[in-house]
Amino acid sequence: MACSVVALSSCSDYLDINQNPNNPITVPPATLLPSGLAGSAFSNANDLNRFASVIMSVTAGANGSPVTWDRYNTDGSDFGNQWRFEIYGGALINYQKLIEVAQTSNSNAYVGIAKIMKAYTFSIATDVWGDVPYSQALQGDANTQPRLDTQKEIYLGDNAKGIQSLFDLVKEGLADLEKTSSTTPGSDDIVYGGTIENWKKAGNTLLLKLALQISSVEPAKAKSIIDEVIQGNDFITTNAQNLAVNFGSQVGSQSPIYTYTYNSSFSTDQLISTRFVTLLQGLKDPRLPLFVTRPTGNYVTIDNGFAGTPPQAANRSMFSSYVTGENGEGPVRLITNWQRAFILAESAIRLGTAGDAQKLYEEGIRTSMASAGISDADISAYFTANPTVVTLAGSNEEKIKQIITQKYISLYGNGLEQWNDWRRTGYPTLAQHQNAVGVDGTRPVRARYIDQEIARNPNFPNNILQNVRVWWDVN
Amino acid sequence: MKKLLFFTFLMLFGWIAQAQDRIVTGTVTASEDGAPIPGVTVVVKGSNTGTNTDAKGTYRLTLPANGTTLVFSAVGFGRKEEEINGRTTIDVVLQSSVESLNEVVVTAQGIERDTRSLGYATQNVNGSALAQRSEPNVLNTLQGKVAGVNITSSSGAPGASTNINIRGITSFNGSNQPLVVVDGIIFNNDVDNSQNTLFGSQPSSRLADISPESIESINVLKGPAASVLYGSRASAGVIVITTKSGKGLNGKTEVTFNSSVNWQNVAYLPKLQNQYGQGTQNNYVNNSTNSWGPAFGTPGFETVQNFRGETVPYRAYPNNIRDFYKTGTMFQNALNIAGGDQNNNFAATISSTIQNGVVRESDFDRHSVQVGGNSKLKNGIKLGGTITYVKSAQKNTLMGNGGSAFGQITRIPRSYDLVNTPYLDPLTGEDFYFVNGQNHPLWSIQNTFFNSNVDRVFGNLSVGYDITNWLNVSYRVTADTYTDNRKQIQRVGAARAPQGQIDEDLRFRSELNGDLLINAKKNDLFVQGLNANLLLGQNLNQRSYRESGVISESLAIPGFDNVGVGSVFTKSYASTNRRRLVGHYGQLSLDYKSYLFLELSGRVDQSSTLPKEQNAYFYPSAALSFVPLEAFNVKTEAVSYLKVRGNIARVGRDADPYRLQSFFTSATFGNNVADITFPLNVGGTSLPGFQPDGRIGSTNLKPEFVNSFEVGLNVGFFNNRLGVDFTYFNTRSTSQIFNVAISNSSGYDTRTTNIGEMQNKGIELQLSATPIRTSSFKWDVLLNFTRIRNKVVAISEGVNNSNITGDSFSGIAPSIAVGYPYGVIIGTANARTESGELLVNPNTGLFVPGIAGQVISNPQKDWVAGLTNNFSYKGFTLSALVDVNKGGQLYSFSQVDMRNAGQTEITGVDRNQPRILPGVILNADGTTRPNNIQISAQSYWQSLGGLASQGAVFDATAYRLREVALNYALPSSLLSRTPFGNISIGVSGRNLWMYAPGFPSDPEINTQGAGNIQGLDLNGIPTTRNYGVNLRVTF
Repeated sequence: MACSVVALSSCSDYLDINQNPNNPITVPPATLLPSGLAGSAFSNANDLNRFASVIMSVTAGANGSPVTWDRYNTDGSDFGNQWRFEIYGGALINYQKLIEVAQTSNSNAYVGIAKIMKAYTFSIATDVWGDVPYSQALQGDANTQPRLDTQKEIYLGDNAKGIQSLFDLVKEGLADLEKTSSTTPGSDDIVYGGTIENWKKAGNTLLLKLALQISSVEPAKAKSIIDEVIQGNDFITTNAQNLAVNFGSQVGSQSPIYTYTYNSSFSTDQLISTRFVTLLQGLKDPRLPLFVTRPTGNYVTIDNGFAGTPPQAANRSMFSSYVTGENGEGPVRLITNWQRAFILAESAIRLGTAGDAQKLYEEGIRTSMASAGISDADISAYFTANPTVVTLAGSNEEKIKQIITQKYISLYGNGLEQWNDWRRTGYPTLAQHQNAVGVDGTRPVRARYIDQEIARNPNFPNNILQNVRVWWDVN
Repeated sequence: MKKLLFFTFLMLFGWIAQAQDRIVTGTVTASEDGAPIPGVTVVVKGSNTGTNTDAKGTYRLTLPANGTTLVFSAVGFGRKEEEINGRTTIDVVLQSSVESLNEVVVTAQGIERDTRSLGYATQNVNGSALAQRSEPNVLNTLQGKVAGVNITSSSGAPGASTNINIRGITSFNGSNQPLVVVDGIIFNNDVDNSQNTLFGSQPSSRLADISPESIESINVLKGPAASVLYGSRASAGVIVITTKSGKGLNGKTEVTFNSSVNWQNVAYLPKLQNQYGQGTQNNYVNNSTNSWGPAFGTPGFETVQNFRGETVPYRAYPNNIRDFYKTGTMFQNALNIAGGDQNNNFAATISSTIQNGVVRESDFDRHSVQVGGNSKLKNGIKLGGTITYVKSAQKNTLMGNGGSAFGQITRIPRSYDLVNTPYLDPLTGEDFYFVNGQNHPLWSIQNTFFNSNVDRVFGNLSVGYDITNWLNVSYRVTADTYTDNRKQIQRVGAARAPQGQIDEDLRFRSELNGDLLINAKKNDLFVQGLNANLLLGQNLNQRSYRESGVISESLAIPGFDNVGVGSVFTKSYASTNRRRLVGHYGQLSLDYKSYLFLELSGRVDQSSTLPKEQNAYFYPSAALSFVPLEAFNVKTEAVSYLKVRGNIARVGRDADPYRLQSFFTSATFGNNVADITFPLNVGGTSLPGFQPDGRIGSTNLKPEFVNSFEVGLNVGFFNNRLGVDFTYFNTRSTSQIFNVAISNSSGYDTRTTNIGEMQNKGIELQLSATPIRTSSFKWDVLLNFTRIRNKVVAISEGVNNSNITGDSFSGIAPSIAVGYPYGVIIGTANARTESGELLVNPNTGLFVPGIAGQVISNPQKDWVAGLTNNFSYKGFTLSALVDVNKGGQLYSFSQVDMRNAGQTEITGVDRNQPRILPGVILNADGTTRPNNIQISAQSYWQSLGGLASQGAVFDATAYRLREVALNYALPSSLLSRTPFGNISIGVSGRNLWMYAPGFPSDPEINTQGAGNIQGLDLNGIPTTRNYGVNLRVTF
């Protein structure tokens, strides 16, 4: 009580105690990068992955939300946490702040990584929900009700409306990586440990992924981007260069897939689908035992949409350590070497870009198998024994079906990319789930806008159900 | 302190009196038992000459020349006037006040006032109406007894918090709980929810640290005009509590001993069906939480194989849920020693409450020691002070819809013998339970729980001095401080933390106040009969809060509940929160001939939480009271008293600390599916990570204001045997400091700003009557009625609704919405045609998907009423309170769970008959046809709505026999040869009967505890019925 009746002049000091001692007003780039990267990994691999893996018949619902999703039901109360706290209020605002903070200190390496990852994370938002806030998003107070940019505008940009394309955002990030940087990341980069060369490869490979995504609706644009990247010849070519986010082995540091598979009350919600096991068994695929656990020695799975009594939790076949890490380390693989190979294989056929589709197809299968822990010798043996699987044949459409089917297997654990490919190409061919309801009995082709945004931002339409296709989904 | 002030006034009265030769003496006794009343104020009407009675109820007063009438008044008794008419001995009998027409009450800043002078409504509740009521929580004992006040206890868990709102909700974001003042000490009543309120425990609201038995009286200051002297924090009203003291014992020493024992049982569990067992679609399924299995007695289902492969009988266990609960007990003991005289007195109290709840392993213990005293020193300085130490300990199981006992107890099949089925794995200490990933409820309550250990000290010290006979100065320092050592334990095997988790959390809170009070008095100001009193004050206030804690997981030693046995420390945190306020206030009270009163008040506050350049704000009030019968000297038999009053007031309120800036916070990601917390341990390196906090600050915050006006009428009929107290009030809350929800695509969740407008209009009615009064029998009736209409008038440009700060499930958002009352739930409403018919999907016969973002539930009650009947016959007194909470809606997970699972009684009726959902099917041409698609009973009941749907909304109307108390005081003739002064014994019961037409259970449940989010039953603990016996002895 420093301020008394006789010393009222000291009152201004007495009252000057409103500086927050608990939270900083500004933070260095090295503390924003790991949280941003972890946020992107959660965006991809937490609830949206649970959803996408179920509707892609990789996992099947035994309880809770996955049971609902298995029947193609979803509504605006799904994925509110993802939109609010992992995507926009998570990774994206982190990258936005990282760009601002790093630019003031000329930490261009951080700026470049943030822009590439910002583009990647925005692509999740638009691929899942279609038209979303983009050019007016992340402005805080300056725009509390951003407009929705169309998915076409987000992918292609629109100068008149001040919308930068995702491609240009990635390229800007790549350009920043070429500049000298006052500080560079180290262990705070939980993807590459600070190797900027790998970030350049990741950025270029992201361009390939984004381009292929629009290849059905904008083939010329897709081709020009892919041509450009092939020309530049600086993309992911080894498994070690995968854009994969590393987690830790301790509770609270673990990959979300590990946590929801093994260490959460939601771990009994889903198990591996019988359909996925059957698919790999049919292909005699050696990755099956490495991908899927067998606590009883056999595959204990259920069919999608199954309405009976699910097997005992302890006996169930689940995501293996290939997806979760031995103790939750992950990694969460966002963009991989084999994904790049399959992209280029499809592009060679679909768009006529450079490269031998067959070789790229084989490379995709080989690198995926290697990543799962299969020796080169065993891979070669598999190739020898299964020529029809590893050889593209038939019409272009049939070849693309082959490519995407193998890509689907190799993307195991990344439900969003499997769903993206399936929506774009219709492959792999997936049978209807049992007891399917949905809007009209069809598999969801988008997520519904979250309830909170509909309530908070009048720009959001309230009537777009999960059976309405997004812009690039014309197949 | 108020005692000191009281004495100060007495001294003033005494000294201003001039030497006269006329002297009056007499004795004041109580009408009920003829006992002398000490401490009665005796004043010569129209002057400031006065005194008060001593321990024997006698007084002696020197009359001024113009004195013709004496006015007698005392706290808890009616006011009485006696014309002197030359008498020298005037004995007076006072009646204990039926209703506050004419009594002395403690108002803001401890000032004692005659209610007739008040231009605003207050309501006084005597301690005897609170004690020995089978209820250890003071706020709960006030239920139904005060008009204008809504009180909701959050559950039947021991020590659970209680929500109280006076005259509705006036702030979008700030606390709407009233300020609590105990013996002049600003007393913290916060809940400090530590964990996510959707899953966790129910910590106490800290008024739980006061025992009802220690209370002399409670005065409720309802509107801003009544509370303006307390400043910003009183905008939600004030509860002024006076504890028992030695005042008025004059020379005597009295020892009082109170003791009671009570029992508690779980009350009003919903009725359940007993025809169908575990399973779904008429099939037995041994790990299903449903009771949609085959009917009992179906051939082939005499026995079934349970989830562990054992063959068990397939039959109903009608009491499987009820047997989960036990009979709770509650022991309360208190010893009070008081003595002294008017100038020098002391009081000491030791009290203890030990409660074991109806949920096993839940308890609440409270022990306190209080000492206090007042003294007038030889040099004229008056000193007074009290100090109290309280130790409270609470243990409760965790609640919530996932991974808690109460998330499971609503999903137990009718054929599952919950309590008698072995559930403990002797090898691992973990449990056997038929639901994968969940715990057996008994295991949960033994192994997932929350402990709170509070050590609290509060006290005050005041010094006063009369500078002249018209000027008094005093200074008062009060302090209230506590530590709350909390521990939340989830042992290895717990559903939410399979590897175990311990959250060790230490909280510290303190509040210091220094108040300078200068009081000046002048009689016959300008004109004869106009008395003026001027009060000037300064308040310095500091509130601090500190919290530090650590969470450890992967517990290495199962069952050893120390945070150190964790192998991973997932979170450690420390935060400090401090605010200060400087207030200056003044109050001018004018009294013209005791029938016209005007009071003008004003206060300027400067707050540390507002921007420096605009941190000061002023707010005034004016209150007028007129007693026309007195003014026009009219007295009729029928109308014995009449007062009209009105006031207009404004109260400003500052922000919470640190709202001005945006900042960063240590990063976390995920939800209850999966989550991480930074620092992140990757490859053996611990990496700190930050993220922008979800709230955007504002450097331009201004104070928020509540403007109000109030008019009222007090009428007494038939010598005040029938009294009416009617109030109409209208408050308008403006420029609310609120964290407005903004589009999350902005990167943020909320923005702090001044916005909006909210309105409360209400009426309060108190009727008091004494229908029968004979020398030995008396019947008193007291009716309280409250009706408040709250409306959110505006939020901000383009924003029609916004979430209330706090935890909520997706799609069940407690919100403010324009045009609706505060706190409505926004969620998914059923899709309907334009004419309001429900739409049904022609393919399935089920409802089509709902529409998000709709107001689906309104927790605000239509009206609240409480009717108390008191009967006294010789030594017996019987008191019964019935109350009604009409309207308001409750959003209940529990009932949806039980309905969807086919447990509730109605789901067993005609189960084998197909059903048709009410609604219509849309034809291709836009017309509709009635739904005619038959579905099974299971589909029917389940399609009425899941957890996040309109089907979870129920009418919360409840009629209740809130409490009954019967006491017998032994006749004094029996005790005259014993050392005992009084002996009384009694029985009491609480929540004895309840009728809720729209809800299958007791709707008085509020899982998120005291606070702005109300009307949610998210798998909470049910209410209890209490009954017990008590004993009170004085000697």
